[in-house]
Amino acid sequence: METRPWLRTMKARALVRLWSIFGEPLWVVVNMGFPVLSALAMSLLYISIGAQSYVGFAILGGVMISFWANVLWSMASNFNWDKQEGLFDVYLTSSGSLTALLIGMSVGGIVATVPSAAIVTAMGWALFHPVVSASWPAVVVTFALTLAALYALGMTLSSLYLVYGREAENLNNVIQEPVSMVSGMYFPSIGPFSPFPFAIQVGASLIPLTIGMDALRKSLFYGQGIAAVWLDLFVLADLAVAFLIASSVALRALEKKGRADGTISVRIR
Amino acid sequence: MPSYRSLFAAAWMGIQHDLAWTTPAASLLLGVVAPFASVMTTSIIYWFGASHGTSGFDPSHLAYVLVGAALYAHIAAYAWVPTTAIAEGKNLAVFPHIYLTSRSTALYLAGRALSAFATSVVTSLLALCFAFYAVGLFMHTGVPLVVNPGTLTLLGLAFLVNIPGALGLGYLLGAYSLYASKFEWSLPGYVAGLLMVFSGALFPPSILPWPVSAGAAALPFTFFITAARDAIIYGNMSDYALSLTYCAIGGVLMLVVFLRVYLSAEKRARRDGVLDRRLA
Repeated sequence: METRPWLRTMKARALVRLWSIFGEPLWVVVNMGFPVLSALAMSLLYISIGAQSYVGFAILGGVMISFWANVLWSMASNFNWDKQEGLFDVYLTSSGSLTALLIGMSVGGIVATVPSAAIVTAMGWALFHPVVSASWPAVVVTFALTLAALYALGMTLSSLYLVYGREAENLNNVIQEPVSMVSGMYFPSIGPFSPFPFAIQVGASLIPLTIGMDALRKSLFYGQGIAAVWLDLFVLADLAVAFLIASSVALRALEKKGRADGTISVRIR
Repeated sequence: MPSYRSLFAAAWMGIQHDLAWTTPAASLLLGVVAPFASVMTTSIIYWFGASHGTSGFDPSHLAYVLVGAALYAHIAAYAWVPTTAIAEGKNLAVFPHIYLTSRSTALYLAGRALSAFATSVVTSLLALCFAFYAVGLFMHTGVPLVVNPGTLTLLGLAFLVNIPGALGLGYLLGAYSLYASKFEWSLPGYVAGLLMVFSGALFPPSILPWPVSAGAAALPFTFFITAARDAIIYGNMSDYALSLTYCAIGGVLMLVVFLRVYLSAEKRARRDGVLDRRLA
């Protein structure tokens, strides 16, 4: 495989995503709606029950929910929408790699979601002054690895959603909230403070967000450094690689099946 | 009579849209998953925060959060249906066919919202039931809900009285969707988020700064959730009746005002030729 066309495909798809967001600044306002309001609601819930010291958990949850929503709605179901718009046919007939397209979509999605996450952080900081005791190198590494694993999961879902029609949107609606819950977006869902039985905690740990949120809370609010969260980082890196491989395999298999069945570019099913 | 037929046809179409993408039982059960997870998330936040905070854990406060979370999810689930019916309808070329008929599209949206209301009542009540047991399982605590035929009837009445307000909100969002061709897809998130903050679902509106707190306390949705809590948590009939009356008055007012807004937006949209515009 030549790397230059692959990189150019990736860059082109990333730029489309960036232009679509930054070419219309109102999109930033639109995208930040749910994360800002849910972070606000959960922060106020913590405050209303006399747990002001945990407000930071709610704000961190609002930041990460921006990325999770982006993965679900702008990664996983994107090929389905591309099919509806007739764009997927263009991808198929071009010589560009579909994996490169997905990685470009991820890179563009991450950069495009940063303003929304930054606004949630600024709003939370200004309104609630959460207590932060951070080990910044650990926060940066954890954040980067969490996003890498999360978007790799998005690529896998995107490959799987290739076979779905209108079920894709319903499936997104079904998995968005439960994943937010078991991954502990706003509270610790694994470890000694988790309300869940051990079996659920083990299952939840297969979702990158769970490990990422846990490690982010430890490094951001309890000052734990890389040495303390190395196991989380190791698992996140493993998950990122595993999901990348899974997405590549699934994409190839489902593309082949879709071509054989003649359903790969059917617009509305 | 023909209006009822149109309304029924739209409602039936909504049921088909919501439930027929897989088997009806499966889609109904899958519809429970999101509100259940939402109720559990807020309940766990309460359990975790109260256990480690200054106020201490109180099962009746857990019931307050549990019921509020289930009901805001219920309102959000059907208040934005008119938006989706328009946005998706434009995208799939259904909506232009609706406006070609001799009826106002307002009737179609009412039918779609009512069908979503019916589905959402079932899913939110099931979510509340499942969460009631899950909370007991995970947090080893009981939730003091008063459940008997009388309180369930009062809860059912509160659901019905809340319809005009939610439909009014739906018309307002629908009026926007007639003209929008990009951003309307994000409205559900905004509606759910705003209801979480301003409807007293998770905390009393009084903790919000004035005058926001006054505005939030006057919303019909806030009165609806308060009335439902009075029925199945506190058993306070006089407060229930008062909250429900305010909910009804506010809801009818919202419906009348926002229906007028929608009808004028529809008239103008027909004139401007944007009803079948898919892309900006």
